[in-house]
Amino acid sequence: MNIVVVFAHPSADSFGQAICSTAVTALESSGHNVSLLSLYQSHFAAAMSREEWLAYHGESPALDPDVKLHGELVRNADALVFIYPTWWSGLPSIMKGWLERVLVSGVAFHFNKKDKVRPSLKQVRHLVGISTYGSPHVYIALMNDNGRRIITRALRACTGWRTKRTWLGMYNMGNATSSELTAFLERVHKTMRELS
Amino acid sequence: MNVLLVFAHPNPASFSGALRDIVLSCAEKTACEIRQHDLYDTGFSAALSANEWSLHRSPPDTKPHLAEYYADLQWCDTIVFVYPTWWSGQPAIAKAWLDRVLANDVAWTFPDGAKRIHGNLKNVKRIVAITTHGSSKWVNALEGEAGKRTLSRGLRVLCSWRCRFTWLAMYGVDNSTRYERNKFTQQVEHRLMRMFHH
Repeated sequence: MNIVVVFAHPSADSFGQAICSTAVTALESSGHNVSLLSLYQSHFAAAMSREEWLAYHGESPALDPDVKLHGELVRNADALVFIYPTWWSGLPSIMKGWLERVLVSGVAFHFNKKDKVRPSLKQVRHLVGISTYGSPHVYIALMNDNGRRIITRALRACTGWRTKRTWLGMYNMGNATSSELTAFLERVHKTMRELS
Repeated sequence: MNVLLVFAHPNPASFSGALRDIVLSCAEKTACEIRQHDLYDTGFSAALSANEWSLHRSPPDTKPHLAEYYADLQWCDTIVFVYPTWWSGQPAIAKAWLDRVLANDVAWTFPDGAKRIHGNLKNVKRIVAITTHGSSKWVNALEGEAGKRTLSRGLRVLCSWRCRFTWLAMYGVDNSTRYERNKFTQQVEHRLMRMFHH
């Protein structure tokens, strides 16, 4: 499968980075063709510019060459994997910006004659989210897991209702022991190796 | 009233820009004190940096470049957000405001032995969100209204226990008529005037 891994973490020696390396290694060991988009490392611009906003409803909304390239990778992907720390119950801004700038019309969806959004990513068979959370699971449930909702609901509206969803959450990071962290990495490895 | 306005739209001539102008004019008419964070106009950095991340648990004076934002957040009693809803949430630059400005010992504290953070914005009595959605209300309900819940739950738990949340949202703006948009701006003005008078 062609798999696009979108990764956001500002620190190169974080647990998030360890998750990302584990996931990519496991996917490659199963023979998948992996494209890793490391947003902080590539200095991806998070905010949609005024020019992009003006072009949004036009024929060619992607203006930046990197954004176009990411869009082409997504168009050819069979699975999308998002790896990020949950901040304020949502996606880090840089990953939210990636959705806004890369998944434009012609990539993730198209506008029909009535200017309504219709899905364009029906070839994506699997959406995967792997996230770390500072708070316990119970608290996240109370606050609402908004990052997860954006990926498993808003994005799935563009991939179609047959697309499978897998979610791996490492909760309560602040009080996690090293054996819990190791166990989570093993879970990531196993799930990614068996991804279909 | 002390109002902190957080505005996120790349084009001031947009409908969101017009909504922002209404907030400013209502504050002026009612003689409210208002401070504005116009995120695009001021070139606000749209991603939490590696340095800021490493100082996550450090006191606010370790991040002097954000001092003014912290001061405004602790000064206000009402926060008004004006932004377009994209991918069912705040635009990246507005999410970055949450990620960067809601800092330790400003918006929250983490006492020793606590299981989770404690809110520290007792000064904030009301959160107002004024936003537009391209798609219809039922599509947004199906997709989970992530942006709404980020503010009404995630941010509100940091504020005063009696902090109120006001959601002024226009749905289906992509296919709206001028008449519908005018009606919405009038509703927003009416609600703000009543709010700011108290």
